[in-house]
Amino acid sequence: MSPVHALGPEKGRLTVHTRKGGAAAKAGHNLVIEVTSWRGTLDLGDDTTITLSADPRSMRVHEGSGGMTSLGDDDKANIEQTINDEVLKGTPIEFRSTACRLSPEGDRMHVSGELELAGRRAPVTFELSLSGGRLSGSATVKQTDFGMKPYSALFGTLKVLDEVEVAVEANLDGPQRQGG
Amino acid sequence: MVELDHPFQTGKPIDENWEAILDLERLIPCVEGGSVIEKVDPEQVKAEIKIKMGAMSLKFKGTVAVVEQDAGEHRAVLRVKSKEAGGQGHANADVTFSLTDGGGTIHTAAQITGKAASMGEGVVTSVLDALIKDFTENLANI
Repeated sequence: MSPVHALGPEKGRLTVHTRKGGAAAKAGHNLVIEVTSWRGTLDLGDDTTITLSADPRSMRVHEGSGGMTSLGDDDKANIEQTINDEVLKGTPIEFRSTACRLSPEGDRMHVSGELELAGRRAPVTFELSLSGGRLSGSATVKQTDFGMKPYSALFGTLKVLDEVEVAVEANLDGPQRQGG
Repeated sequence: MVELDHPFQTGKPIDENWEAILDLERLIPCVEGGSVIEKVDPEQVKAEIKIKMGAMSLKFKGTVAVVEQDAGEHRAVLRVKSKEAGGQGHANADVTFSLTDGGGTIHTAAQITGKAASMGEGVVTSVLDALIKDFTENLANI
């Protein structure tokens, strides 16, 4: 039997952080996008594994900063529509670890794995912190590694930068027992 | 005032290019987001352009008119006068086409005010430059 922690929005948060670039970057915003529907597992058994799957149509713009004007509800809805129609197009988002290495103190974990995004799989590595019953960490995802063309507007002078940060934090309270 | 010069190539004979640039109903849709609302007369139309700025968009409505044309020199000046829809801004420009066989050059002298201008002249110049480059590429297919 191994302690398997279920992860999800009830006791955690999965966010995507994008940054703007280009000659007209002033006209855009750095975004914090919350994934509102996702599921994951952290299995801290002999063979530690972590998995995560996210609903690509559950992205909600939480915050936009650095723009000339603040983002209204309509603007946020427009961005979400653009993500659905032009960026992710509803394709599955799945992560599965291939190797997890715990630090000797057991408070950090180096994770290597494979991410499926926009219909393509590519390797991703990141560090997680495990302390005080909480898991937190972030991974840098390069859109072009997945064959994605980073979104651009204003005739290419306003761009979302290729690298986006995906951050996760979750409470590990109440581990479930697998097979028990 | 922002002034920009762009070459363009269509690979078509000069007379064909001349006819195309004076046909505002064919020319204006070559600008991304641009459309003709109404033809006032053969040399003037009411038009609008919608520019998507990420989450937000700006719309300008106004007129485009052929104010000078020299068929012998194959040189024409188009005057754009527009006002930001729902805002205080303006986007006005004199666009001078000088044609040669297979293409030509475009000189743009533009004045932008309002929300778009508040991004600064450097940004306005970059966006306008990108808009016209995109337009010149579309001209090849007119």
